[in-house]
Amino acid sequence: MQAIVLGLIGGSIYALIAAGITLVYKASRVLNFAQAEVGTLSLYATWWVTVKHHQPWIVGALASIGVAVAIGLLFERVIIRPMLSASRVTVAVATIGLFSLMVAIELALFAGTIYILPPPIAHGGVKIAGVFVSSSQWLALGVVAVVAVGLALFLRFTDFGLAVQASADDPVAAQLMGTPRGRISAFTWGMSGALSAVAVLLIEPTVGVLAPGAFAGLFIGGLTAALVGGLTSLPGAFVGGLLVGIAEAEVKAHITINAIPSFQTTAMLVIVLAVLLLRPQGLLGRRA
Amino acid sequence: MADGAGSLQRVQGVAAPPHRISPRVGNAATAALLFVALPLLTSHAMPRLLQQHDYLNLDVGVALAVAAVSLNLLLGYAGQISLGHAGLLASGAFASGIATSRWHLPMALGMLFGVVVAAAVSFVVGLPALRLRGLYLAIVTVIFGLVMQYSVLEGSFFSSGSAGVTLPRGIDNATYLVVCLLLLLLVWVIDVNIVRTRLGRAFRTVRENEAVAQSFGINVTRYKLLAFVVSGAMAGLAGAMFGHAILHVNNEKPFDLSLSLTLVILVIVGGAGRRLAVIIAALIFWLLPSFISGLHAWAYVLGAVGLMLTVSRHPEGIADLLSHQRRPAVGAGDDDDDELPALPQLPVPDRPVTVDALRSDNLLEVEDVVVRFGGLQAVDHASLVVPAGKIIGLIGPNGAGKSTLFNAVSGLVRIDAGRIRYRGREIQSLRSDERARLGIARSFQQVGLAKDLSVRDNFLLAQHQLAPYGDIEALLMLPRAARTEREFATRTDQAIEALGFQQLADMPVRNLSGGQQRIVEIACLLMTAPDLVMLDEPSAGMAPAAAENLAARLRDLRDALGRTVLLIEHNVPLVLDTCDYVYVLDAGRLIAQGEPRDISADQKVIDAYFGAAVSA
Repeated sequence: MQAIVLGLIGGSIYALIAAGITLVYKASRVLNFAQAEVGTLSLYATWWVTVKHHQPWIVGALASIGVAVAIGLLFERVIIRPMLSASRVTVAVATIGLFSLMVAIELALFAGTIYILPPPIAHGGVKIAGVFVSSSQWLALGVVAVVAVGLALFLRFTDFGLAVQASADDPVAAQLMGTPRGRISAFTWGMSGALSAVAVLLIEPTVGVLAPGAFAGLFIGGLTAALVGGLTSLPGAFVGGLLVGIAEAEVKAHITINAIPSFQTTAMLVIVLAVLLLRPQGLLGRRA
Repeated sequence: MADGAGSLQRVQGVAAPPHRISPRVGNAATAALLFVALPLLTSHAMPRLLQQHDYLNLDVGVALAVAAVSLNLLLGYAGQISLGHAGLLASGAFASGIATSRWHLPMALGMLFGVVVAAAVSFVVGLPALRLRGLYLAIVTVIFGLVMQYSVLEGSFFSSGSAGVTLPRGIDNATYLVVCLLLLLLVWVIDVNIVRTRLGRAFRTVRENEAVAQSFGINVTRYKLLAFVVSGAMAGLAGAMFGHAILHVNNEKPFDLSLSLTLVILVIVGGAGRRLAVIIAALIFWLLPSFISGLHAWAYVLGAVGLMLTVSRHPEGIADLLSHQRRPAVGAGDDDDDELPALPQLPVPDRPVTVDALRSDNLLEVEDVVVRFGGLQAVDHASLVVPAGKIIGLIGPNGAGKSTLFNAVSGLVRIDAGRIRYRGREIQSLRSDERARLGIARSFQQVGLAKDLSVRDNFLLAQHQLAPYGDIEALLMLPRAARTEREFATRTDQAIEALGFQQLADMPVRNLSGGQQRIVEIACLLMTAPDLVMLDEPSAGMAPAAAENLAARLRDLRDALGRTVLLIEHNVPLVLDTCDYVYVLDAGRLIAQGEPRDISADQKVIDAYFGAAVSA
């Protein structure tokens, strides 16, 4: 039970990364390797605003989201848009470049010092099912729920949201129907930046410190969740996130096999492998 | 060895036309001489010039180049992604380390063992590629790399904990550099041989269009796995070279995910499929930073920006900057040239494989065949016979199931009921490429060629099933492979000349006009030395005058070349003019058959084409 509660919290944050990966994949058939790292670099903006300039946490959070959206938009405009007809592997290499850039900037500017952020909500918390869930963790659950519902409503009930979905289904037909391809692409990458920033903001209290590459596990968890969900389904990404979070917590709590070192990593990989080979379209995805 | 005398003759045969082979051999020999002489001379004449760590950097740079060539084969030629290539390098390094340090084998045997182990591991990694593609395959290979790193190699047998494996080498620095350079040369030569034989053509065609590959007799499964095995062998060699350079490896260094990603970056930045550019990219990537010591942190920021801008502005890689080869202009779409020359002018090869004698008067018999797509009965109990030496027409309105029946005969769709006999033998359980190798050639409505390959390469590709040499012979360009490829090249030149396409020979087929593509396609079909030629709307995309000329060419096929033709055509005059017998399909069912003049008067046929209301 304890594992399930903890797993739901961790998994909901994976779901945000998974949603970003899924959004970009749907729109451009590319895996964004920088999905977690954009938010990691942006988190230094939160530190700058809250610790250095003593502003409230929410201001710092908005600063981080702003920086991440700006990175996403800039990357799309300068790097991605000229690559419309490039092979998808090449575009993926460009996102590896973005990942390296984020890490390189972190190392150049912030290496050697430990940065500690204040938690979003310092006190409070409720015990459920014998598990203490802190206010920050409640905040995480709430934010993820709001983001999930908001994103779903936006994509289903606004003209632009429908255009995004149509463009993902069939870019050529969508363009012939008058959807603005450039703006859709910009939206996708900007939104992926925002999701990255929010995910990192929410998981930071669990990790405790801010350091280059501190959130690498977030990307692996998010990617696993996206794959379990089927890579093309946003609801799938959220369900996948929760499942992966719970599975990871259960494995951590119950199974240790000494003969196989790093068993948890292996278990996670085996899950992905099984999903890919037995049901490549994931739980909620459609066959390409 | 009964083959001994024959192969001696072949060696002499090779020497006869010296202009093709010797420059290559000469270049390779020169390079080998340089690679041996330079490091040894340097180490003796100027012993202080290169320090220990310089040798180390050079060794690792060369190993990285081999690894990049290995991934270039898989990604650039065969189009299969691997994001776990470091796992293959690790297999080679650990195997060689165990062989040399624990079993006390010499380094050469250790490396060989590493090559074999990595090739075997790569075969297993390649199995999912038969089912998955794109990102899904990429993820599986990432997982392979991680599992190697965190589970297999961390295990006590391989690593003694995290202590890792030692790789002794027993030769001095300069000699080891010589060894590494010679191994790079060996890998280069093998890679060149792959590109110049049916292996490379099969890899590229499978990458571009699997149905087309099968129609030329290429076993897609086999060549996908072969690409993984050969690439894995090279990666194992690279890993062993890497390991014996740094003398010690463990599960954390150096074969981690970032090495796998680096290799992908090197291939893409260099240019997928561009060997020299990829090697240069690998050498620059490794040697530049390691000879400029104390690189500032911001240099890495610049490097990342440079990487993004390079792939964004040069998505085809920097190879284009290195070579002076100009892109050929877009194909001359001159439709006046759209005429197929008389087919007997084409150098049609003989079919070498012994096929069973005809057990019936009919070359092809389709009996009661049913094909369903979900609830739709695309072919509904259709039967037809194609007697040897005749032209048989298959007509019917759009959606009648003609192309589906073609696909059923050529093996691209499975039949749900019925029998298909070729030369009296049931073939419905054979794979598409197996049927092609029996002598069934087919065209496609969308032109069944590898459109990214040149006209010349497509003619060479078409002769795939005629090549008698094996994979090892091809990799090493042994005499039989070299001689066969020369024959193929000669025949290709003759064919291109017969078509008058000398100007277009090195242009990608994609750039040709529709009519020109169709002509090349039909000529390529004949290059497979078929007995049965199945043409799916050959006049589509041809200018009207050229379509008229097609009738004479179809009769060429039957009368001058003795082939049997099954023809789908919407050009009814052409069908009535050329066919010996016609079948009419509508909504998956045969509604009529007979001599052309009877068919043209058949009320059911008129109804099917024009709708019953018109005739009523």
